[in-house]
Amino acid sequence: MNLAIKDIRYHLFKFITSTIGVGLILMVVLTIGGIIRGVILDSATIIQATGADLWVVEKDWLGPFVEISRLPEDYYHAIQAMHGVAEASPLATAWVHVERPFRPTPLMKFMYMNTVIGTRTMVRPGWMAIPHDLRFIVIGYEPGHIGGPPVIVAGRGIEASHYEIVADVRTGLQIGERIRMGDFDYTVVGLTKNMVAFTADPVIYATLDDAQNILFEADPDLLRNIRRRTRQQVLGAAQIAPRLSDPLANQASQIAENVSLVNAVAVKVKPGVPVETVAHEIERWKHLTVYTSAREVNMQLMGSNRLILLQLSLFRLILLVIAGVIIGLITYTFTLDKLKEIAVLKLLGTQTRRIYAMILEEAVLMGLLGTLLGATLEFASEPYFPRRVVATRGDVVQMLVVITVIAVLASIMAIRRATKVDPRSVLGT
Amino acid sequence: MEYAIQATDLSKSYGQGHTQVDALKGVNMTVRPGELFAIMGPSGSGKTTLLMILGLVTEPSEGRVLLEGQNIYNGTGLDLQRLRREKIGFIFQFSNLIPFLTAKENVLLSLELIGIFGRQADARAMELLEYLEVADRAGNLPEHLSGGERQRVAVARALANNPAIILADEPTAALDTERGLSVMRLLRKVSKEQGTAILVVTHDTRMISEVDGVIRLMDGRMVESDGSKQQSQPQSSR
Ligand SMILES: Nc1ncnc2c1ncn2[C@@H]1O[C@H](COP(=O)(O)OP(=O)(O)O)[C@@H](O)[C@H]1O
Ligand SMILES: [Mg+2]
Repeated sequence: MNLAIKDIRYHLFKFITSTIGVGLILMVVLTIGGIIRGVILDSATIIQATGADLWVVEKDWLGPFVEISRLPEDYYHAIQAMHGVAEASPLATAWVHVERPFRPTPLMKFMYMNTVIGTRTMVRPGWMAIPHDLRFIVIGYEPGHIGGPPVIVAGRGIEASHYEIVADVRTGLQIGERIRMGDFDYTVVGLTKNMVAFTADPVIYATLDDAQNILFEADPDLLRNIRRRTRQQVLGAAQIAPRLSDPLANQASQIAENVSLVNAVAVKVKPGVPVETVAHEIERWKHLTVYTSAREVNMQLMGSNRLILLQLSLFRLILLVIAGVIIGLITYTFTLDKLKEIAVLKLLGTQTRRIYAMILEEAVLMGLLGTLLGATLEFASEPYFPRRVVATRGDVVQMLVVITVIAVLASIMAIRRATKVDPRSVLGT
Repeated sequence: MEYAIQATDLSKSYGQGHTQVDALKGVNMTVRPGELFAIMGPSGSGKTTLLMILGLVTEPSEGRVLLEGQNIYNGTGLDLQRLRREKIGFIFQFSNLIPFLTAKENVLLSLELIGIFGRQADARAMELLEYLEVADRAGNLPEHLSGGERQRVAVARALANNPAIILADEPTAALDTERGLSVMRLLRKVSKEQGTAILVVTHDTRMISEVDGVIRLMDGRMVESDGSKQQSQPQSSR
């Protein structure tokens, strides 16, 4: 006869409600862990999907995502030819927004409202208004090179050299839909999924040429700048032939305008070749900065992102401590409620270890069931969060271990209390 | 004839110095198998203390207890818990059945403690409940039993391990006279038919008719041990 099971059967309502309570707390702990991981994974998504080992950017710029770096497109040919390089792919990235009536789901509306209400004081309502434009990142890649969409979940990949795009499902764009970016219309020919920038903005893939068009259209100042700078440089250099200097400068600025720029060159290193060696090689060759993929992800988790993660992690720890205290208290009071029965069991000569086993089994069972419930609820609720939430089985296992340890510790405390029970307490006076 | 339990010069003091309480002062008594004795005395006279010492719950300050001839408090560290579950049956004032176990499970638990499991335990538990006329309540939790039924189940539980002695501390106090008497008669029946030695603490003088003798305590001393109904007198002190 298992005393723990019998006792649970008797106190079923109390046991179930307590277990649900434990489960809900653990669900929150798991969710926060999932939110943290989601932000980190979002930051790594593009980098990982590209499959590059190194990212070549303009000297001293934190490109290509955190800051705008620019380098001539044709550098990639030279990089491709370098020793140890398996593949070099030029990439152009542009943040683009289109105005779009944003139709939030009721859940999304609720989340906005909830946030506004939750921060009512000191926060102006307009600061948290529902936006009416969709922002995304356009990634232009050379078809056939790395950097394109890793999966196509609907439609097809880009086949034409112009005006076709593959969008992440989160953009809300449909296949066949046309959107205007810069001076041209682009047609959605395929959908990919789970591709977001570190800002959680969804990705749109385009050909390198198209992306460059969009990029420069979005930045006419840059063009003017290039034109002026080149002109001035040529003017300075051409002083020996003053009569020629003006037409020369004009010519040069025209050429400069036509030089295609990219934001980065993604480099895949040949197997067996040390990544650092190739990185040094590239940096020596030109005034460029080369980052490893890990460093790229790390850069994207700078500033606000990183601090929010640290805050959330701390919050998760606090919650875990609270969960531990609550589980401990529940276990302890469960035992306190049974002190009289424990005294009777002792008088009947029940083996001490059997009494302890009853206390321990109930606590551990509650911890296990609570964790499983929490995990189930967490996994079920993940899709309803506005941003990626990714809890793993590893998280659940970790939680099981922590909760079991807590349950055992609480049981030991409860058992110590139980050993002090005077069997006399159930005898007559 | 062998004694179920034999106590010699039992003394028990609680506390020390000027707060010391002498709960028992040199008590001698013997109970044979099949004998039913009542322990009577005013509140604070040491009845429960005596029962606890005989029930291997509390060590006496002085004196000797022989349980079926075995010297219990001889300082050799006997497994008292084990002796308790094998040789002693307890019945308490408020029955103290385990509330989360059914009547039958309460009896089964005591059987389990002495190593009887499965079908054999089942049969024995039902047999005991039938013997105490509560078999039809076997599947009920204690809270769904009446006070009298609870005490019957408690007696069944106390009998489960076929104990050398049953110790009952005011088992009838929470019952009305009618039910109290019926429980006493039950104990009487048990002691006669099962040959179990039984010691019952009670306040109710009407119960005297059912017992073989009365041990009267006053301030920790035995003032009278009336064994007139028994053919052989239990030994009385000094
Ligand atoms: N654990 C204890 N500590 C101190 N004094 C006690 C303790 N248990 C009993 N006593 C005292 O011992 C005396 C006998 O108590 P008890 O055996 O409970 O008497 P009864 O059961 O006859 O009422 C009482 O004076 C009581 O106050
Ligand atoms: Mg008493």
